[in-house]
Amino acid sequence: MDHFPTNWGRPRNELHDQYNTYPIHQRPSQPKDVFGEGVQRTQQPIVTGTSVLAIKFKDGIMMAADNLASYGSLARFKDIQRLHPVGTSTIIGASGDMSDFQYLQHTLDELMVDEFTNGDGHELGPAEVHEYLSRVMYGRRSKLNPLWNSLLVGGLQDGKPFLAYVDLLGTTYSASSIATGYGSYIAIPILRAAVDNKENTLTEEDARKLLHECMRVLYYRDARSLDKYQIGIVTSAGVSVSDAIKLETNWDFAEGIRGYGAQTQ
Amino acid sequence: MPDTAHEQPQQRQFYPYTENGGTILAIAGADFTVIAGDTRQSEGYSIQTRYAPKVFRLTERAVLAVNGFAADGNMFVKKVKQRLEWYRHAHAKEMPLRAIARLIQTMLYAQRFFPYYVNNILGGIEEDGSGAVYSFDPVGSYEREACRAAGAASSLVQPFLDNQIYFKNQTPAPGTPHPTYLPLPDVLAIVIDSFTSATERHIEVGDGLEMYVVLAKGRSIEELADVAGVQELTTRADGDRMFVIQRELKKD
Amino acid sequence: MSIMEYNGGSVIAMVGKDCVAIASDLRLGNQALGIASDFEKIFPMTDRVYLGLPGLATDVTTLREQFRYRLNMYTIKEEREIEPETFAHLVSSTLYERRFGPYFIEPVMAGLQRLPNGGYKPFIAATDLIGCINFAKDFVVAGTASSKLFGVAEGLWEPDLEPEDLFETIAQTLLNAVDRDAYSGWGAVVHVITKDKAIKRVLKGRMD
Repeated sequence: MDHFPTNWGRPRNELHDQYNTYPIHQRPSQPKDVFGEGVQRTQQPIVTGTSVLAIKFKDGIMMAADNLASYGSLARFKDIQRLHPVGTSTIIGASGDMSDFQYLQHTLDELMVDEFTNGDGHELGPAEVHEYLSRVMYGRRSKLNPLWNSLLVGGLQDGKPFLAYVDLLGTTYSASSIATGYGSYIAIPILRAAVDNKENTLTEEDARKLLHECMRVLYYRDARSLDKYQIGIVTSAGVSVSDAIKLETNWDFAEGIRGYGAQTQ
Repeated sequence: MPDTAHEQPQQRQFYPYTENGGTILAIAGADFTVIAGDTRQSEGYSIQTRYAPKVFRLTERAVLAVNGFAADGNMFVKKVKQRLEWYRHAHAKEMPLRAIARLIQTMLYAQRFFPYYVNNILGGIEEDGSGAVYSFDPVGSYEREACRAAGAASSLVQPFLDNQIYFKNQTPAPGTPHPTYLPLPDVLAIVIDSFTSATERHIEVGDGLEMYVVLAKGRSIEELADVAGVQELTTRADGDRMFVIQRELKKD
Repeated sequence: MSIMEYNGGSVIAMVGKDCVAIASDLRLGNQALGIASDFEKIFPMTDRVYLGLPGLATDVTTLREQFRYRLNMYTIKEEREIEPETFAHLVSSTLYERRFGPYFIEPVMAGLQRLPNGGYKPFIAATDLIGCINFAKDFVVAGTASSKLFGVAEGLWEPDLEPEDLFETIAQTLLNAVDRDAYSGWGAVVHVITKDKAIKRVLKGRMD
């Protein structure tokens, strides 16, 4: 609808507006929506995080993500936290666009405050957080304005380990080991071999060692990864995100490879 | 003013769909219906999970199988269930199968210009006690049939069903016409064979098989007695009965 | 539109107990338009080796003549008929010669291989359009209905079928598969090869 009456057509004769009292607006330069250019929706990720890994174990779930936020191939921010505790029984881990993730962090924190102020004694668990996130993600993709992330949601739901995935398309699933990005190609085979059918016997120490090893493999092979990562754990003892852990690596093998290590001839 | 005349509008449009593999299948008998689907969910060459259900119980006598883009599928099932709940509250009864079929067509067509990227198969028991299968395309075209396969391996399974259910290209011996409906054990055997075949030749099919069986009110359940892994889902006595049977499929 | 679907057509071969079968549809089309319903795609190479050539019709004719020539040369040189396994490698190398400008044909072979003890062993094989050989132990398929043929064959085929049962199995598989394929059908032909005879049966099929 054009709301500028002068665009509707001038009155046919001066009878209707003898003294020219009818206001003549400045005609809009564009016949279309003037704000159209300002609305940007289709996007691409800018500052990105790489893989997130997560597994179920005997007492809960464990998640790992490195501390790098890349700007294309530039290792731009090397102290970014990509694991975020939500409430007292949930952790989310994000790969993809970090600004979209930080927006989600604020949204979730606000949601948790709103729920707390209800004062009904209820708190959102990982199943509810995952449902909420999947609705937000699917809603945004349906508006063709996605939040460019792959997210893992883990925690304890009614005392049982919960682990699920949601991405920018709203696709969801749950499994006992999940990884995003390159982790889904490189780490998943290692994680499935170690975790499947052992969810109820795998100890916290086993789980920690397993994720450590996978993060090392990823650091060797994923060019957008970092040798500094954090582990997030949810057990009946609560939620915790570790301090940064440094990966020890050995690049001696590269020595003899031309074009990889030092030039040999 | 900067000269922007030479700038090409460079943009990679966000594509809001993906395919998550898997196959679904439904066969109607005279007084029962079997609705089945595998439980693998994949994207590209990656298996995301080995257990993501594609077949959902809607009412006491209706089951919906959804295959295609999983996010759309799950959202669509959620909305159908919500509409059925509203109907229950408004009319104090469950929506009959043929009405659910029309509801689904309306809901799919409502999204004609931004479709749910899914193939739906609705199965269950009609008000007259007969087994029924309704199949839909992504924008709501639908038809009642005796059997239908959909999804990634539909081209492998459907011609097999034509042969084994409709007896296509088979000539009956004189005086012994082909049966219009098959007995339940035969149907279950055909469903299992269809999925093992599809698993063998299609990479997106496998891991697990979930078969829902809806039996018309008063029908004998004898044929299900010695089937392994049956679980009854019926919530109300003296009505139609519902069961789910779970089987393993190859995981490679 | 892919050139492999330009004329349409499908072929399947199956192994039985001391026998093999090979079958095809009879359609020749020009995309969606049906042109002929008597276009055979299976040719006897020797008494015991049959070759099916689904794909681009012009290449069906070219390759048939090409293989007739090469087989004659082989027979003259070797003073014996070719064995199916050797023939499979002849097909493969003939196609690979045109690796970067291929014939648009996916050949299917069926035959009985002579053994040192004088007996015969069933043999089937298929290749892609540049000659990658698939030596299968059960069945091979090719053509526009290949995915359908795979599905039905996987459901109907079983090991050690006698010639008559093998005929029924391959006929049902082909007929039901091509009925779901827009580019195949319009009748079918089945060859069953045993050690002392080769039977050819022309089948009626749906003409829509």
